[in-house]
Amino acid sequence: MSAIQPFANSYLFLLLIVISAAGYFLSTRRAVRSVAGNTSQLHSLPKYFGSYTAILIFCPAALLFFVWSASQNSIILNLLVEQLPPSVFEQANFNLNLFLNKVKNLTFNAVPTSDEAVIAAAQTYVNYHNTSGWLMFAAVLGLALLCFVIAYNQLAPQFRARNRVEFLIKCFLIICSIIAIMTTLGIVTSVLFESFNFFTLVPVTDFLFGTQWAPGPTEHAKYGAIPLFAGTMLITLIAMLVAVPIGLLAAIYLAEYASSRVRSITKPLLEILAGIPTVVYGFFAAITVAPFIREMGESVGLDVASESALAAGAVMGIMIIPFISSLSDDVINAVPQSLRDGSYGLGATKSETIKKVILPAALPGIVGAVLLALSRAIGETMIVVMAAGLAANLTANPLDNVTTVTVQIVTALVGDQAFESAQTLVAFALGLVLFIVTLILNVIALIVVRKYREQYD
Amino acid sequence: MTSNTQQENDHQSIAARMINNENFKTIGDISAKKPRMVCKNVNVHYGDFHAIKNLSIEIGKNEVVAFIGPSGCGKSTFLRTLNRMNDTIDICKVSGSIELDGVNIYDKSIDVVELRANVGMVFQKPNPFPKSIYENVIYGAKIHGLVKSKADMDELVEKSLRKASLWSEVKDQLHKPGTGLSGGQQQRLCIARAIAISPEIILMDEPCSALDPISTAKIEELISELQQNYTIVIVTHSMQQAARVSNRTAYFHLGKLVEVGNTDDIFNIPKHKLTEDYITGRFG
Repeated sequence: MSAIQPFANSYLFLLLIVISAAGYFLSTRRAVRSVAGNTSQLHSLPKYFGSYTAILIFCPAALLFFVWSASQNSIILNLLVEQLPPSVFEQANFNLNLFLNKVKNLTFNAVPTSDEAVIAAAQTYVNYHNTSGWLMFAAVLGLALLCFVIAYNQLAPQFRARNRVEFLIKCFLIICSIIAIMTTLGIVTSVLFESFNFFTLVPVTDFLFGTQWAPGPTEHAKYGAIPLFAGTMLITLIAMLVAVPIGLLAAIYLAEYASSRVRSITKPLLEILAGIPTVVYGFFAAITVAPFIREMGESVGLDVASESALAAGAVMGIMIIPFISSLSDDVINAVPQSLRDGSYGLGATKSETIKKVILPAALPGIVGAVLLALSRAIGETMIVVMAAGLAANLTANPLDNVTTVTVQIVTALVGDQAFESAQTLVAFALGLVLFIVTLILNVIALIVVRKYREQYD
Repeated sequence: MTSNTQQENDHQSIAARMINNENFKTIGDISAKKPRMVCKNVNVHYGDFHAIKNLSIEIGKNEVVAFIGPSGCGKSTFLRTLNRMNDTIDICKVSGSIELDGVNIYDKSIDVVELRANVGMVFQKPNPFPKSIYENVIYGAKIHGLVKSKADMDELVEKSLRKASLWSEVKDQLHKPGTGLSGGQQQRLCIARAIAISPEIILMDEPCSALDPISTAKIEELISELQQNYTIVIVTHSMQQAARVSNRTAYFHLGKLVEVGNTDDIFNIPKHKLTEDYITGRFG
């Protein structure tokens, strides 16, 4: 049997670029020649005439190329199914998906099969593929040439090439931002959709206000999220108790006391903390910090769980120190020198100036930094997966074993349960609530930071 | 015409050479009638840059002294040495002696906080704290523990704002942010803030350069009133302002004090060529 011919598709894109480049040079030349070399008579610089043609050749053809490539497989398979002889469907235990997979395996991976029908179908499949490939080649090339002719004939000295090119570039920028927004929307809707599926299995109120978390395949499974959120809040609280004082005081030292030499060394060192992968923090917490805390607790007669909230929270706090110190350092530096001078000029000492003038002035920015760090801590996964437990205890004791929302999302999705079960779908509901909480925190942070900006600008 | 310009250039270069000479001496009388601050042979270095060269001057009680001179001549630097505001700059070194009522302010035993409470400062750009008007005025007094009761504070705020002729404009909005006032009002608020800690000397670093003419007129009027109780040293780029508000004027050039004397004399019969060129607008 003949194989798929990869030639056309791989080189088509390259060819398109060559044609666009040719279009660029031809159009530039035509524009220059149309005014006999006196380019000041052109409406736009010659390169805009070239760019206009190149864009007009490349974009529609490339779009066609991608749409065709993306959709050809499903169209071909549909055609193939229609072409299948009725005898195929009459086979025992016939499964269309299985059959098509066999066809694809034979075609692409040369997985041998003895089924005559599969071999025949594979031949048809290859034929369709090759036909589609040549058709696409012709269509894309034709479209490119058509666009070239259209663009080339538009070129005249007074043609507003620059305005057109700028408009097209603006469209391109809009498309890029739309892609980012649509991705977010897509993620949110997919989470929303799956959460909705979950809420048809478990009532929303049971989920949001239940105090027992015991997921499982049986009827007795409980999906009360309160212990998880309590665990998240406990660990986040511990993290903030570690990070806010250390981060803020480090920022004050860096911004107000450190000489420029010390600052130039210390600041990058502090920021290295932000570059450590969270998984490394994770095993640091699990292997070093947790046993240490446990031994400390035992030496004073306290019963400490080996995966205590304290260990996970403390390490998470260390992780977010650079967020707080770096952002606070920036906002403290943004307080105008004139305010410091004003305070010193009235006989205030350095510490009075910091406490009474600089920190109040920088406070909104610092609050913004803390809120950003907070949403980072709430969403943090790797450290708690490694260092926090799985037991959903509803407790406020930091020496106890707690679990977090993110840990349970991971456990729900990595198991081998059926996807449609509540046990798996709960991950999306948890994700949704987590997303909403973080979103609210971010919005508050943004509002606070914006308010801060208005003060000095 | 050409020879005239040539001659003038020669003349100017001679004058410039005169002040670059090691044996340069300030023209005019540097002493004040009732001296409070006595500066002798003050030198200021910023790293390698010699910003103030061997400068001596006296500042007397209840007088207004204006420092004038082209940009970069060191007048603001010198002003800031008078209450050690240059301390905040690491590379700045001051030598010579500056005495306030007979005590060297650069002596190790001197507490800079106390010094600045006695020698207040008003800056070029109004810099009210992002607090209420009331809080702004009371800030220094609170730090120095000058006021205890609420009644004391209210009284001090009213007194200071009245002295800064701002009271009538802000008395109904004392608890609104000071940053919401107009530029001129902000600058008067800064003056009120400075006089609330009852300094004896007020240093003003181009206090009107960011203000419109009406606000400027108000500040100048205020300076004349404050003169009865305070000693004021003002740096200004406006020669008219120096002529209007000051008793004595000092002309700075390239870190040196070229000429000092009664304001009327300096503006009417300048003795040094550089001073004359500057005040007649031929230079700077």
